[in-house]
Amino acid sequence: MERMNGTTRADAAAPRVDIYENKDELLLVADLPGATEDSVNLHLDKDVLTVEAKVVDGALPGTLLAREWKPTDWRRSFVVPDTIDRERIKAELKDGVLKLRLPKSEAVKPRRIEVRAG
Amino acid sequence: MWTMWNELGRELDRVFRDFGVGTFTGAAWPRANLWDRGSELVLQAEVPGLAEKDIKLTATQESLTLAGERLAQAPEGYTVHRQERAPLRFQRTFGLPYRIDLEKVAASVKNGVLTVTMQKASSAQPRQIAIKGA
Repeated sequence: MERMNGTTRADAAAPRVDIYENKDELLLVADLPGATEDSVNLHLDKDVLTVEAKVVDGALPGTLLAREWKPTDWRRSFVVPDTIDRERIKAELKDGVLKLRLPKSEAVKPRRIEVRAG
Repeated sequence: MWTMWNELGRELDRVFRDFGVGTFTGAAWPRANLWDRGSELVLQAEVPGLAEKDIKLTATQESLTLAGERLAQAPEGYTVHRQERAPLRFQRTFGLPYRIDLEKVAASVKNGVLTVTMQKASSAQPRQIAIKGA
């Protein structure tokens, strides 16, 4: 168990995520408090997408009276299905929340099939 | 996971008791750190997804209350595969170890972290004590 007054950083923690899907895309929403646009790194290697964010330790001078959280770096990996169009993955960060949109490739989207009279 | 927080809660209570000051309450969210910087106290809480308008901050001379809500954000028309970021409505009160000057409280939110700076009341400010020779 980490010590209360320790100054060492915790290792990267896995952020909490929500994962949604509609016919056009997968939407991944992750809590990354403390992350900024420059500190978020998205890395796609084969079918593994890794979301990483560095968080600057805003440790202030003074005496720490209570510590319920440590600024940690964030890291979590996800397997991305083949059906995703990797070129069009988009990310947006706001108020420490990352929204990652993984659009489905056109080829796999549901489509109407015309039925012609025989 | 909850056992760890309970232990931490007891640890915090013990730390505060040793210093004879008030404690953080048992409610779990948002998590906060509290710094004593001599003339002021600074509280930092993790509030991802919340902007200024989503948080209500009230202070008394001895406590700080954070309230607000972050609703389920399942967007229209999507199915849910996983939901770890629980929707919540929260209210948490932090007991402060020193009285603060209510006219001198400043708060800001950035990147999902709330920082509240509170000047200690003049009676609570540290002061130099002159020692007279015999």
